[in-house]
Amino acid sequence: MNIVIMGCGRVGSTLATRLATEGHHVAIIDTDPYSFRRLGSEFNGERFVGSGYDDHVLVAAGIKEADAFMALTQGDNRNLLAAQIAKHTFGVPTAVARVYDPFRGELFAHLGLRTFSPTNIGAEMAYDALTREQ
Amino acid sequence: MYIVVVGAGTVGYALALELQAMADHEVVLVERDRARAAELREELGEMVVHGDGTEVVFLDSVGTRRADVFIAVTGDDGTNLVSCQVAKHWFKAGRTIARVNNPHNEALFRTLGIDSTVSATGAIMAQIEVSLPEHTVVPLMRLKESGMEIADLHVIAGSAAEGRAVRSLDLPPDTVISLVITDGVPRIPTGETVLAAGDEVIAVISQSSEAALRKLMSGPEQEA
Repeated sequence: MNIVIMGCGRVGSTLATRLATEGHHVAIIDTDPYSFRRLGSEFNGERFVGSGYDDHVLVAAGIKEADAFMALTQGDNRNLLAAQIAKHTFGVPTAVARVYDPFRGELFAHLGLRTFSPTNIGAEMAYDALTREQ
Repeated sequence: MYIVVVGAGTVGYALALELQAMADHEVVLVERDRARAAELREELGEMVVHGDGTEVVFLDSVGTRRADVFIAVTGDDGTNLVSCQVAKHWFKAGRTIARVNNPHNEALFRTLGIDSTVSATGAIMAQIEVSLPEHTVVPLMRLKESGMEIADLHVIAGSAAEGRAVRSLDLPPDTVISLVITDGVPRIPTGETVLAAGDEVIAVISQSSEAALRKLMSGPEQEA
């Protein structure tokens, strides 16, 4: 698969490295070139410096041929804008956005994006850690 | 009407002041920056509320559900888009209006159902185009329901349109000439109205007819 990832933080870099080692063609975008240090040495994909909702950057990163776009920055709204550009402007079949606010995540899932909320996932895991049998 | 304005920057602040001065409107101005919100609250009073205008729980607390008009005018397109989408789809707010900072996003905002978009860059570009002789057809606004455009046309000396009656113009389909302005005097044209060089014409056109109209209104040197 051709996958474009926006945001090379801990989650973005870990996912990019994993997908690249699984044999996918991965392009990762971040506004800060220093963030690419997080990519594992086995990462053989492409790196692009710029904004993930700038048309020029997206096209350079191969958005037109992408099978999936993943928006993984810290900003919910940035992620939702970029994922919708990928889906509606460039017709990327699968657009995933990380959305901390669970309500917003739920709403945009209804509007055709794939969303996940680290807030819900984190709360669930914290609850499990507290209540599980030793 | 109940109006929610998200973003108390220069645009939002001026807008809220204008709206507040009009009778019969209840206005809430939402600002995410705590210090800016506190400062404006001193000046404008309780209409200013500190909070994140894209957050569902917060928007619920300011009564977005009963908003007749919901306006997002921050300097960030992501915020403006998401804010209006939450208002529209979660709370079923009446009419949503978004400021578009990057003109490339305007089409996307419309595709995603934002009722109106306002782009300063787009507006300034239209002004520049009006003053360029080679820009004879300037789209002024798009009608949401039909997708038709209202355009400003200029009749150039030596063009195919000059000296012709409206009836005999080879207008593209879906084009209606609504107003002809000669020396600052507007007239509603009939089929017999003859267009002269320098006339300004307001027309309803379809996007696909723009090129044909440009050809009709341009001087001969531009037809080649």
